[in-house]
Amino acid sequence: MLDHWRLRRRVALLAADALAGDDRSRVRAHVEACVRCRAEHDATSAVLDLLREDPLRPDVLRAELPVSLPVLLARVEEGIDRALAGPRVAAATPRGIGRWAALAAALAMGLALPSLLERTNAPDPAGDDPMPEVSAAALNRLERNVAREQTARYLNEAQDVLATVASSPRDCDEAERRVDVEAESRRSRQLLARRALLLDAHEGAVAGAQPVLDDVEQILREVASMEACVRFRDMERLQDEIERRQILMKVRLMQRELLG
Amino acid sequence: MARLSAGDREALGPLMERHQRRVYRIALAYLRDPDDALDAVQETFVKAFLNAARWDGSADAGPWLSRIAVNHAIDRYRRGKRRRATYSPIEEGDHDPHYAAEEPSPERRAISRNLGERIGTALRALPEKQRAVFALRHYDERSLEDIARLLDLPLGTVKSTLHRAILGLRERLAGLSS
Repeated sequence: MLDHWRLRRRVALLAADALAGDDRSRVRAHVEACVRCRAEHDATSAVLDLLREDPLRPDVLRAELPVSLPVLLARVEEGIDRALAGPRVAAATPRGIGRWAALAAALAMGLALPSLLERTNAPDPAGDDPMPEVSAAALNRLERNVAREQTARYLNEAQDVLATVASSPRDCDEAERRVDVEAESRRSRQLLARRALLLDAHEGAVAGAQPVLDDVEQILREVASMEACVRFRDMERLQDEIERRQILMKVRLMQRELLG
Repeated sequence: MARLSAGDREALGPLMERHQRRVYRIALAYLRDPDDALDAVQETFVKAFLNAARWDGSADAGPWLSRIAVNHAIDRYRRGKRRRATYSPIEEGDHDPHYAAEEPSPERRAISRNLGERIGTALRALPEKQRAVFALRHYDERSLEDIARLLDLPLGTVKSTLHRAILGLRERLAGLSS
């Protein structure tokens, strides 16, 4: 029973034939002994069987390109010529930087909106501004949408960390029953910094998400303060907390709500 | 690869011959559209040529190309999201004559197309990372370790992501499998 919750989270992986060695044997033995887990396993297997019927799958496995190699080669050479001839700003921008730049731009937009709002509401000194008028309500809506999207993105990334913590961190010292949470701890610190930025930029705009954000923050703080190779029983305590407070489910529902 | 990084285009042919199917498989699994997948293959090799100097020199260029392909597929999907094209592998007039003798009945084709659409919709509803992990596992039959290397993720994250992807698909395909 002690390991039930931990093993239960691996039942889907067993059904997907994604476990090996002792891990596989342990989960399989548990599934055979646990009625609920067996039902979970059978239901997951049925869906995976259905997914194997996907008409796309044979085409993927066959991997026959719809054009011959010389044609593809000619297309690639054309692409290289185009890239070398034209500006390559977009291609040269690493994805990570692009993502942060987009976030920074969105945040800047969020921060700039209140002043934009003031400017829109203020009387025009010249009296003949040719710019089209944007209503305060429209700007409010825009600000709210930016805030909701950023909060949903934040929750999505936090969910990744929490899901790893709640399911299967790697062992770092099997004899001492310790698990590796170095990456999750680092990620939690980064997310907490992001959370502070979100609060500064959009205080009040996503008030409905506040309880979930607080729950997530509390768990992230605990993960962030953990040492890299933490005792499994400490991790188990945190896993129970996540399970008991149904945080992952709340995060998923809140994401859906935020994104409409 | 050394020749490629020196700008030798002659080296492209052998490299593409060796890896084109692997790259196409990844792109098709993620994008679910043969034309988009072909474009992604093309872009992957263009990028490989332009960035050959960045290759870390490991013996096999396959994993490096696969990683470019995965990133390209994700980027391409983001760009084309609005189109939301649905892959239908058995469109009218799109048959290989080799398979003519095994051509399915109209009913079977309709069922198959419907199933493909339902699965495509369910997969598109997954978050990017879950979708990438699931596609690499289910369609490309990669090991979890391989997926972790390709996506630059810890193995534990790959496991939890796959777990969540399967549960998400189960939720979205509820009713079809029973």
